[in-house]
Amino acid sequence: MNEKNEKNGKFMDKLESKLMPVAKVISSNKYLIAIRDGFLVSMPLLVIGSMFMLVSNFPVQPWIDFLKSTTFHGSSIASYFSNVTNATFSIMAIFAVMGIGYNYAKQEKVSPIFGAASALVSWFILMPFTTSFKPEGAAKAFQVPCVPLDWVGSRGIFIGILCAIFSVKIYKWVEDKGWTIKMPKGVPPTVGQSFASLFPIGMVIVVFFLIRIIFTITPWDNAFDCIYTILQTPLQKVGDTLGAMLGVYLFAHILWFFGIHGTNITDSVFRPILYALSAENLAALQAGQKLPHIINTQFQDLFATYGGAGSTLSLLIAAYFFCKSKRIKELSKMSIVPGIFNINEPVIFGLPIVLNPAIAIPFICVPMVNIIISYVTMAIGLVPICNGVIMPWTTPAIISGFLSSGWQGAVLQAALIALGVLLYYPFIKAIDKQYLKEEAEAENNPKDDDISLDDLTF
Amino acid sequence: MLKIITIYDQIQSGMGTKDDKMLPLGGKNVPIGPSVMMEPFLKQIDAKVVACLYCGTGTYFNDKETVGKKLCDKIQKLHPDIVLCGPAFNYKDYAQMCAEVTESINNSTDVPAFASMSAENAEVISKYKDSIHIVKCPKKGDGGLNNALENMCKVAKLIVTNQNEEAFKAYCF
Repeated sequence: MNEKNEKNGKFMDKLESKLMPVAKVISSNKYLIAIRDGFLVSMPLLVIGSMFMLVSNFPVQPWIDFLKSTTFHGSSIASYFSNVTNATFSIMAIFAVMGIGYNYAKQEKVSPIFGAASALVSWFILMPFTTSFKPEGAAKAFQVPCVPLDWVGSRGIFIGILCAIFSVKIYKWVEDKGWTIKMPKGVPPTVGQSFASLFPIGMVIVVFFLIRIIFTITPWDNAFDCIYTILQTPLQKVGDTLGAMLGVYLFAHILWFFGIHGTNITDSVFRPILYALSAENLAALQAGQKLPHIINTQFQDLFATYGGAGSTLSLLIAAYFFCKSKRIKELSKMSIVPGIFNINEPVIFGLPIVLNPAIAIPFICVPMVNIIISYVTMAIGLVPICNGVIMPWTTPAIISGFLSSGWQGAVLQAALIALGVLLYYPFIKAIDKQYLKEEAEAENNPKDDDISLDDLTF
Repeated sequence: MLKIITIYDQIQSGMGTKDDKMLPLGGKNVPIGPSVMMEPFLKQIDAKVVACLYCGTGTYFNDKETVGKKLCDKIQKLHPDIVLCGPAFNYKDYAQMCAEVTESINNSTDVPAFASMSAENAEVISKYKDSIHIVKCPKKGDGGLNNALENMCKVAKLIVTNQNEEAFKAYCF
């Protein structure tokens, strides 16, 4: 037994020493942190935008017809709702670019608000300010000048990430060189700051002005088409596969086992791709087309785990109904309600799950099983693909499944939670048995007389 | 065998989330939370966690004096070889509680105690690092927890066996 423990210990040390550097590189990478935190800026806007989207597209046909046919001052009620969606989802990349520029500037210790401004201005310089428009009855489409919704939505995200980071880098480089206008003392700081950023912003604009010109001689004609074709589309294709989703979650959960916030780390790489995929689904939903991507933000948030990382809601249900040891009973009683809202800190540290080999196998495997079953049921059409409506991560399962994939989504979630209970059961029972033994020993051991109180009371 | 008592907040004891601050003072005579994670390292130093005391951070800050005194009285009565307060990660309130409770135990009982927290608690660390031992641990969700727990066990052993402070200085702030 001891030999086995020693072997396990050595294996864990080896695994930790292999994974730790990767986790460290990702979690301390300035660009990735800026991207992750930048996307958080768009999150509340997308959640609220989703609510409006949800009301106007609630999956009951008479309701949808009612909103479409009832008018107020000449416009249908549905069109008022879609104004909000247009101001949030359709221009989501603007929030992301602004957020990433802001956060990256913060990391580089330059003015965050001017970082955000540099990011936006550089991105807009590269953006083709036209869209093709074909009037009814016309033979060909015209290029009409405008800010194209096509590019300020999900399709502009990756070029936006690059612009945000590169522009702030230029800004910082100029500032570090000392090429700034310094105002005399007594000038209000905001005025001083706006003069100080004159040259750095100027350099950003000049550089991107040149980049814009250079791109006109490439086959893509502009940077947006280029990055969308050679970077975003391939990444989305890779991201929208079962293998990628499984790989990401496997990595995240092994990290969790070592006490590292795994999804936080994988999110900084994977979330931009998921966002783009979700936005395309939502656009399809709005246009009444077939939803294109099974894997997306909602798939990860709503169908991979229930109750937080490791799908610990299943674990808690198994513990609550089938375990007898005082520790586990009490823990499950206290943690099951937060668990319903996907908060699982008490279980992660309290049971514990971190560094506890006895529960590692189901903790890592249950999310994998959830992902595979959800993917397959959506692929064969048994459950509708997630519609792109973004919900706060605390939305309880079954409700979230219903809002995202209709009643089939709710049933799938309930079934997966139940399956998780079965998978966790033998493992939590084994721990329970061990704990019961320890508790009995502690009670019957007169050696530690004072400590052998049942529950220590004060 | 080295007898250890640990002191946890509501989260580390698994008794609640950060919002369940008012968890009353309590204890278990079996290992819970991080004490279970420490098991392989406890074996290495031939030690056992004989009890885990816990208290919500709100309960503690509501009436520091009474709660602190109750904890010290309990420790004196149970009389372990050493008390571990933490790991508190970057939980600000819990780190503060750990530092204060460690100091009270050191001052009012004959049982030695030390705390553990992450560098993010800079204020607490600078205020207390000269009066108590604070073992370094990562912030929540960062790498190196395994190592920190091992170091806590090593420090426990070194303090109990009256080793010179130099022997464990590297593990502390």
